[in-house]
Amino acid sequence: MWLRHVIKRDILEIEIRDIDAIVEELGTQQRSVIPILQAIQERYNYLPEEALRRVCEISDITAAQIVGVASFYSQFRFTPAGTHMIKVCVGTACHVKGAGQVYDAMKRELKLGEKEDTTESGQYTIEKVNCLGCCTLAPVVQIDEVTYGHVSTAQVSSILTDFESQKETSGKKRYKYADGREVEGEIRIGLGSCCVASGSDEIRDAVKDTIDRNGLNVKLKHVGCVGMCHQVPLVEIVPTDGETTLYSKVKAADVEQIVEEHFQPHGFLKRISSRFLKAADTIRDDSRWMGVDRYSLDVREKHVSSFLGKQVPMATEFRGVINPIDVQEYKDRNGFRGLTKVLKEMTPQQVIEEITESGIRGRGGAGFPSGKKWEMVAAQKSKTKYVICNGDEGDPGAFMDRMLLESYPYRIVEGMVAAGYAVGAAEGILYIRAEYPLAVSRVLEALEICREEGFLGKNILGTGFDFDLSVYQGAGAFVCGEETALIESIEGKRGFPRIRPPFPAVEGLWGMPTLVNNTETFAQIAYILKNSAVAFNRIGSGTSRGTKVFALAGKVARGGLIEVPMGMTIKEVVEEIGGGVAGDRTFKAVQIGGPSGGCVPHWKSDTPIDFESLKEVGAMMGSGGLVVLDDTDCMVDIARYFLTFTQNEACGKCSFGRIGTKRMLEILEKITIGKGTEKDIETLEQLAEWTGKGSLCGLCKTAPNPILSTLKYFRDEYEAHIRGECPAGKCKELIRYEITDDCIGCTLCAQDCPVDAIAFKPHEKHVVNHELCIKCDGCKQVCPEDAVIII
Amino acid sequence: MIKLKIDNREVEAPGGSVLIEVIRETGIEVPSMCYLKDAEHFTSCMICVVKDRKSGRIIPSCSLKAEEGMDIISMDDEVREARKTSLDLLLSEHVGDCEAPCQVNCPAHMDIPLMNRLLGEGKFAEALQVVRMDIALPSVLGRICPAPCEGACRRKSIDEPVSICLLKRYAGDFDLEMDQSWVPEKAADSGKKVTIIGAGPAGLAAAYYLALKGHACHVIDRNDKPGGSLNKEVKSDELPATVLQQEIDLIANVGVTFGLNTTVDSQMFKELTESSNAVVVATGKGESGIVDWGLPMHAKGVEAAGKTYRVGETGVFVVGSALRPSRLAIRALGQGKEVSFSVDQFLKDKPVKGEPSLFNSRFGKLLPAEYAEYLKESVPGQRLKPEVMKNGFTPEQVMEEARRCLHCDCRDMHTCQLRLYSDVYGADQKRFKSEERLLCTKQDNHDQIIYEPSKCIKCGICVRITEKYKDDYGLTFIGRGFDVVVGIPFNEKLSEGLKEAALEVAAACPTGAISQRAKTGM
Repeated sequence: MWLRHVIKRDILEIEIRDIDAIVEELGTQQRSVIPILQAIQERYNYLPEEALRRVCEISDITAAQIVGVASFYSQFRFTPAGTHMIKVCVGTACHVKGAGQVYDAMKRELKLGEKEDTTESGQYTIEKVNCLGCCTLAPVVQIDEVTYGHVSTAQVSSILTDFESQKETSGKKRYKYADGREVEGEIRIGLGSCCVASGSDEIRDAVKDTIDRNGLNVKLKHVGCVGMCHQVPLVEIVPTDGETTLYSKVKAADVEQIVEEHFQPHGFLKRISSRFLKAADTIRDDSRWMGVDRYSLDVREKHVSSFLGKQVPMATEFRGVINPIDVQEYKDRNGFRGLTKVLKEMTPQQVIEEITESGIRGRGGAGFPSGKKWEMVAAQKSKTKYVICNGDEGDPGAFMDRMLLESYPYRIVEGMVAAGYAVGAAEGILYIRAEYPLAVSRVLEALEICREEGFLGKNILGTGFDFDLSVYQGAGAFVCGEETALIESIEGKRGFPRIRPPFPAVEGLWGMPTLVNNTETFAQIAYILKNSAVAFNRIGSGTSRGTKVFALAGKVARGGLIEVPMGMTIKEVVEEIGGGVAGDRTFKAVQIGGPSGGCVPHWKSDTPIDFESLKEVGAMMGSGGLVVLDDTDCMVDIARYFLTFTQNEACGKCSFGRIGTKRMLEILEKITIGKGTEKDIETLEQLAEWTGKGSLCGLCKTAPNPILSTLKYFRDEYEAHIRGECPAGKCKELIRYEITDDCIGCTLCAQDCPVDAIAFKPHEKHVVNHELCIKCDGCKQVCPEDAVIII
Repeated sequence: MIKLKIDNREVEAPGGSVLIEVIRETGIEVPSMCYLKDAEHFTSCMICVVKDRKSGRIIPSCSLKAEEGMDIISMDDEVREARKTSLDLLLSEHVGDCEAPCQVNCPAHMDIPLMNRLLGEGKFAEALQVVRMDIALPSVLGRICPAPCEGACRRKSIDEPVSICLLKRYAGDFDLEMDQSWVPEKAADSGKKVTIIGAGPAGLAAAYYLALKGHACHVIDRNDKPGGSLNKEVKSDELPATVLQQEIDLIANVGVTFGLNTTVDSQMFKELTESSNAVVVATGKGESGIVDWGLPMHAKGVEAAGKTYRVGETGVFVVGSALRPSRLAIRALGQGKEVSFSVDQFLKDKPVKGEPSLFNSRFGKLLPAEYAEYLKESVPGQRLKPEVMKNGFTPEQVMEEARRCLHCDCRDMHTCQLRLYSDVYGADQKRFKSEERLLCTKQDNHDQIIYEPSKCIKCGICVRITEKYKDDYGLTFIGRGFDVVVGIPFNEKLSEGLKEAALEVAAACPTGAISQRAKTGM
């Protein structure tokens, strides 16, 4: 007893010293609240009340401010977390692959009740996160720094076992199969008829041999016709950590070298530096690869092919090739040339004209003409102005901005400095989500280097122009992607949006004219300044010029980040780039624009992807989420999924937003458990109309979109739910798991069932007890005969 | 100065003015709740919306500055619908009663919680005045009423209902025992004559209240004494004849005259309608002659409008069992009171609408988790019973029993803006009803104010006010989204959180969420 008392006193003392140091370093004004809270949480893994009270004592921050802010942002905890954090991704791609069931299974495994999130021993805390950005490995579970991909409900305990076995070893993020083997990547071989005709079979065997011989954990995947028929045989290397590289006209003899270059045999050769694992650099040296043409990502090549083919990298130029932090390489590839031209040869007005001429519209979702916005800020007569990069990408299932910040930080910097020059700002801020620590550290590193190189700071490139950048970390609030809420957040307040007018361009951060643009917008601006407005403008459709980066995910054969010209049709993206719907399922719809967007059904897949066309069919460009849905996806469930997200992220300020989203969600939940009525659909439509009209900001204004678009195109599914059926077989309350006559009595399902709903009777056809069944999908996954069906 | 248009009228205003102020200056009423003058706007309740003619969008007028060339439509169908919808949404998360269930259930709509508060403090005379506002025969009803109010009393779910009927009886008896019973103020003589046919409870009540409103009332009855069906209830133990007589005398005392032993036939009826400015038919059940009087009939009685009791467009009104048979004297009394409003409106050539009533927010049953909260403003203890039933309560018992009241009525029911606007816009609390509701809690550890978070509409006025004051804690938003609450940081007590700002916050709070404690008054 006395020992505990002594220890407690010690801890309190330490806290006070630590807290004082934090405040000393970060500041005593309200604007320092969020960084202070982040520092405290980093130190103690939660926010002890004593620590917060101490902050109030020694600073100008009030109790009301600190509690108000701390309780607004999801990042902050008020109770200690377990030693290890288990993050189950419930982003869109993971959701459609059954993340919800994985989460439930994990909770059962940890013996946690409905409201509990930390195990009794204090070892583990579990939480749902949106999104970890590994959509091709969906469903994904991350424990501390280890990421497990393709997790099924049956594998949850093996993940924990594996983690326990190696948790002492620290280190970089690793990707693993659920049984503990590390996934190093995939090798894809085109096996369409032309490929086979030219010897792809042989290639495949050679690859297989090499993998086996070296004991590599690499998945060998066969893909259908990749369309680049004149370049076959094609071998595509997709390492888990790094970018994809495609080899064409590969000969069997080359295979061994190619494979070994990317995937090191275990225990054999000394591991070459990590640079080689990032595919880019290993292949750059063409002299080693006679006779094999490495696929070049030059925009001018007209390859119609796999994943990379129809894409037009502008924001993602040199993807898979360039080292993110190597400033010399960036310069070698004409990086900072655009900025130099801007500062030395152009006036601010000319820069704005160039941007306007390119026709670029904001890539954050609203699509406001960027040139016009820059014009507005430039026109304000104020000595102090700001430029903000909105990197608060929060759409579940979107990670374009993360990739841009992690992989092309210099591009963003270039865009921002040019913006500062054009509008008359001397200071800029990159607002980056807390959930993107790698992006934050890369950007910080890049900024340091830029200062050393003279691209940031005073008298940039000797032109007399002063401009510097800093990074501000978000604290977990989707609403802070809204520009006015983002500004409130930087000012150290709760992220409540403000009404516009006044627009941030006129009255923004600290009341000064502020330019807020999305990350991708800045990346594309760097491209425009380097290559010319015309180069950008000549691609696109209608008033939507240039390209857009999308995170293609869901039930598509090949998901990932793509950059396509505006105007490409949905069909082209899904089938040609994405490789069509995976498995033998049928294409049902795509969801574009994340929680603010809408569904476009397969019979409208000829719709071009541009701002106007998407709006016409009831969807929205959004920030770039593109989720492919098949016949096993329930559209009512999808609407509910997105509304769950928006309702959880709503800030609570305005009546229509706060209450409208909640009531809509309640109705959707009622419908998905089979308790909905016709009247509910009517009420839902009224709520959707008014929440859209009356809400203060874009978040809740667009929250009804998934509902409205699914009602528009899939009303029959809603009505089926009212009758008590879920046609897609997804909504748990409305489906039954049944075992068919294909059952061989192997008892695997009975063993797997977490609630013993299947009696253990070897050699007899198994039967599901519907009273006990919790629809975890475990039996279906484990059955070797595919004898479990959903009715 | 800048120029803009409001409803197609040219208006001038200083640049930088808030739009809602500019519109209000022109004489147009614009509702608002989260708007706090001279403080930063919060754009929360959305009830101040108007329409921008050019874009067709509805915009919150409290949060925007008036600008040169603006073209505003202050009201149209869509604006009205927007305001109503916002109210419907706010009401769906607003857990609180305006009037207590007992009052709502009482056919005479008596303000029972107020009576209870006054009795609890020993203010018996004032309590009686509250009763007499709605009930013309308190001591009589205190002896014969089956007390539907007690059926609705929330205290019932905790232990037993408050003994409302006996409390009321005491108030009535207290007054009768005074040398001088209370005589309410009468309105000036209107010069109008009203004939009331039937001296039963309905007719007596109608006469009483119409007389107080300044009209000359004459009550006719076929019997030799007034009282109608009440005379049947007279039993020495339960309803002494003297009590009935005393209370009828008090009615006569306000100027009501009686014509007893007078039977009305169709001829006389016609004459009465011509010689009086209005006639109230309160003949009770089974008055066989009435069918000949030329009044429209339905299966069970005379046909008259629901709320106003008026027969068509005439000056004839029908109440009591003549309208629809009922055994509840209290219902007849209630109708008599209500019809006095209709007749009064008729006599003054105003639109006949009946007794004014306001919107009521209601939240239904008290949940077990809320018992302790509601007991905070009450006392524990079982329901008291008089030692000898016919003697009623002693004064000490009255005070003790009255304190068992849970005060379900809202302290702000007369000033709450949410209630007021819900009434104006015809809001519907059931439209977006949810299956779950917030739990009621009462934060009462403060000597000046009480905070009931379940009534809060998250307008942030209190947060903005306490920010100014630099109290140690103040109030702040805690959490985010639908579950956001306003509270004191670090869960400190209300008395720690609100010191100087307390009264200002209570006055500014647009609902009854934060209100001043000592509000017993009328």
